[in-house]
Amino acid sequence: MPTPTLSQSLAITLIQCVLVVLFVFVVVPLTVFAERKVLGYLQQRLGSTRVAGGHKGVTGWMNRGMWKWGRIPVLSYWRGIPGLLADVLKLILKEDVIPAKADKFVFFIAPALSMVSAVVVFAAISFVPGTFFIFPSWFPGLAGLPVSGGIADINVGLLWILGVASVGVYGIVLAGWASNSKYPLLGGLRSAAQMVSYEVPLAISLLVPVVLSGSLNFSEMAREMAIGLSAWGLVPQLLGFLIYLTCGFAETNRLPFDMPEAENELVAGFHTEYSGMKFGFFYLAEYINMTVVSALAAGFFLGGPWLLPFGLQGLFNHLLPAGSWLAGPHAIFFVAKIIFLLFTYIWVRGTIPRYRYDQVMTVAWKYLIPMALFNLLLAALVRCAV
Amino acid sequence: MNGYASILLLILVAVALPIIIWNLSWLLRPHWPSAAKYSSYECGIVAHGEARAKFSVRYYLIAVMFLVFDVETVFLMPWAIQMKELALFGMIEFGIFLFLLLFGYAYIWSKGALTWE
Repeated sequence: MPTPTLSQSLAITLIQCVLVVLFVFVVVPLTVFAERKVLGYLQQRLGSTRVAGGHKGVTGWMNRGMWKWGRIPVLSYWRGIPGLLADVLKLILKEDVIPAKADKFVFFIAPALSMVSAVVVFAAISFVPGTFFIFPSWFPGLAGLPVSGGIADINVGLLWILGVASVGVYGIVLAGWASNSKYPLLGGLRSAAQMVSYEVPLAISLLVPVVLSGSLNFSEMAREMAIGLSAWGLVPQLLGFLIYLTCGFAETNRLPFDMPEAENELVAGFHTEYSGMKFGFFYLAEYINMTVVSALAAGFFLGGPWLLPFGLQGLFNHLLPAGSWLAGPHAIFFVAKIIFLLFTYIWVRGTIPRYRYDQVMTVAWKYLIPMALFNLLLAALVRCAV
Repeated sequence: MNGYASILLLILVAVALPIIIWNLSWLLRPHWPSAAKYSSYECGIVAHGEARAKFSVRYYLIAVMFLVFDVETVFLMPWAIQMKELALFGMIEFGIFLFLLLFGYAYIWSKGALTWE
C-alpha cells in the first residue's frame, strides 16, 4: 500500500471531516422528522403531514402533492418531509433579534460554541477499526490510498470526548447569562447545575469500559468490549449501559430531564431571547449531542461496529459462519445502533413524564453516583478475577 | 498524518460551519429594528427590576461538589487503565480510595447538601 504524502493525507483528512459533517447533517434532520412522526404515532396521531400555508402558491401545490402521497402505503409515512426544508428556510430567513440589554459578544459566541463543541467530539469516534475504504484506482490524486474509520484514533480518545463534550455546558450557561433576562438566567443556571451533576455518574459509568478494556482509545475499547470479554463482563456492562444512558439523556437536556427548557415554568429556558439562526445553532447542537451520546453508547456498550451488543459477539462469534460479514466489524452496524438509540430518545420522550427539579438532583446525587461507583467496583472485580 | 493535526483540521471545519451558515443567513434575513422588539422578554409585560438578581446558594454548592467528584474521576482514570496489571494491589488501593470518598459523601449527605428544597 502506498504511503500518502503530506498534501494527500491532508486531503484524506479533509474528506473525513466532510464525511462526518455530512453524516451529522443527514442524521440530525432525519431525527427531527422521526421525532415528529414517532411521537405522533406514540400519541395516536399522524405527526407532520403538510407544510404551513394555504391552498394557493407553492405551499398549496406541495400540500396537494402530499395529500396524494397519503394514499400510497409506504410513502404516506414520509409526506411530512418537505416540512423539514421549510423549517430550515424559516430558521435562516428569520430576523436576528439581539435584546438591547444583552451582552452582544457573549450572546453571539454562545450558540456557536455549543455547536462547535458538539461537532468536534466526533474527532475521536471511529466508525470502524482500521480502514474504512480504499480509494478506487480512477480517483484523481488519491488512487489506492486507505481512509481510516475515524478522523483521529488518538490514545486518549475518551478523555478528549469527555473534555470537549463538557465545553457544551459553557454554551448554555453563557447564553443564559448574556441574555440579561430573567427566564434565560434561571434556565441557564438550572441547566448548568443539572449537566454538571450528571457529568459525575456519566464519567464513572464510562470508567467501566476503561477498566474492562484497559485502554482509552475509542476503537480499541469498542473491540475489547465487543469481542474481548468473558461472560462475567455482561453484568457491569449492562448496569453501566443503563446508568450511562440515563446520564446521557440528562446531559443532552432531553425529556424526562429537560429542566432548562421546561416550557411551562421557564418559557424556553436559556434560549428564550434567541431567534433565527442563533436559535437554530442551539437546536442543531442538541441533536448533534444526542448523536454523540448515542455513538458513545453504541461504541462502548452495544458492541460498536460488531453485530451483537454487550460483549455477546465475543461469546457467540464461533457460532457465526467464519469469514462472513456478520462476524467482522462493519460501519453499517455502528450507524444502525446509533439510529436505534436516537429512536430510544424519542421513545422515552413519548413515555416518561418530566421530573421535578429536586427529583432530578436527587436521582443524580443520591442514586446514580453510588450505583455507578458500585458498578465500577464490580467491573474491577471482574477484570481482576476472571 | 498525526492524530492531533487532523483534530485541528476538524476544529477548523467545525468553526467554519457556523460562520458560513451565519453569513448565509445574514445575506437573506430581514432587519427591521424597533425598541419594543429589542426589549427583554418577560411574559409580555414591561420588564422591571434587574435580571442579574440573586439566586440560590445551592447552585454554588453543586459546583463545589462537582469539582470534588470530578477530580476524583480524574484520579480514577490511570487506575482504571492499569487495573489488569495492578490486580490485588489495585483493588486494595481502590478500596481505600472509595472508603475515603464515601466517608466524605456520607458527610455531605448527612449535612443535607444533596437534598434540594
